[in-house]
Amino acid sequence: MASQVIKVQTVCRNIIAVARNYTEHAKELGNPVPKENPLVFGKPVSSIITEGEIQIPHGWKELHHEVELGVVIGKPGKFIKPENAMDHVMGYVLVLDMTARSIQQELKKQGYPWFLAKGFDTSCPISDFIPKSAVKDVHNLNLKLTVNGITKQNGNTKDMIFKVPDLLSYISNYFKLEYGDLILTGTPSGVSGVKHGDIIEASLDDLAKIKFPVVENEK
Amino acid sequence: MNDQEPKIDLKSICKNIIGIGKNYKDPLKEHVPTDEDPFIFAKPTTSLITEGSSIQIPKGWGTIIHEVELGVVIGKRAKFVSEDIAMDHVLGYVLALDMGKSLEFDKYPILLIKGFDTSCPISDFIPKSKIENVDKLNLKLSVNGNTRHDGNTRDLIHKIPKLISYLSNYFTLDYGDLILTGTPAGISTVKHGDVIEASLENLANIKFPVVEIQ
Repeated sequence: MASQVIKVQTVCRNIIAVARNYTEHAKELGNPVPKENPLVFGKPVSSIITEGEIQIPHGWKELHHEVELGVVIGKPGKFIKPENAMDHVMGYVLVLDMTARSIQQELKKQGYPWFLAKGFDTSCPISDFIPKSAVKDVHNLNLKLTVNGITKQNGNTKDMIFKVPDLLSYISNYFKLEYGDLILTGTPSGVSGVKHGDIIEASLDDLAKIKFPVVENEK
Repeated sequence: MNDQEPKIDLKSICKNIIGIGKNYKDPLKEHVPTDEDPFIFAKPTTSLITEGSSIQIPKGWGTIIHEVELGVVIGKRAKFVSEDIAMDHVLGYVLALDMGKSLEFDKYPILLIKGFDTSCPISDFIPKSKIENVDKLNLKLSVNGNTRHDGNTRDLIHKIPKLISYLSNYFTLDYGDLILTGTPAGISTVKHGDVIEASLENLANIKFPVVEIQ
């Protein structure tokens, strides 16, 4: 079987993420759990990094880490039925949805969009591509994250509120899914602040491991 | 005129659409300058359509709203660029419609409200050289022949160099990226069967029918 190295950073033209897709994470931030529909938001593809440092914009001081399973689309589609959704998946990545939490709260208070707090450069570190065939059960994957060696997040994709097929189906009703698109499926509880000098490590079962140091830009 | 100018197909090259909200002064009122940062959001590139396509209201929504905007296309990668050289990073422009579900930003996710498929109809690409003064352009939009928007880019609050500079502090802007610079007043709703026409001076003219997905 021909093995193709997929460089998600090169092929991706769209990142759609879901917020509050793990009950305990919604609770830890004092947010209501979405009942009817997933709460979607976007990150620009310019936020993706595969190596190097996570850069806190000058003056923001701190970011929150959020470790997530990322789903990579292979077959384009629109109005995808949940039962066919997994046919559109070509693989996965381990992702950190870095978030400027205090900026996000400020923006919310002003009635402004979160885009700045979620989309700044380096706010989407990803692992190497994981082919679909490497994952037996996408709803039984361990997501772990440590900061300076201390475990902060330790969850499992079985706790997703909206499962992957339902997420893809819902998203595809409004946004056509294209080859290379990246869907971030939410983070378990344990989000915490990181600042200049911290080192984040994360793993997805034994399928992927990433390590990113955090620095604050001097501007 | 340079006949050799390559045809820019924004739908193929664009990887990022950033929208700026609340960016027009009311020309009838005295504008009080503030320190407020731009209101920034994004639209996925799947929202882009060109003439020949219809604006499609998602099933069940009934109505959507229109906004008419000057779109700036980036030609040269921009990160931490200062205002005085920001225009060097511009490749050209498009006339764009920034369609939205409604203004209920507290009720629905902004990606959904502003980013649904077909919510970013655009004109053909306008090379930078075709526009002498980007601060004096008339933007007009009509629905079924009735004028709704009739504004001018002189009323932009955050001007283009400021927008490029500000955005480039946080986001690397790349070749093909599109910045929607805001809409003058006149937002109204459209429904299945309506036809929207818009113009940017005599530089671009677009026409899009509106349908609701059944």
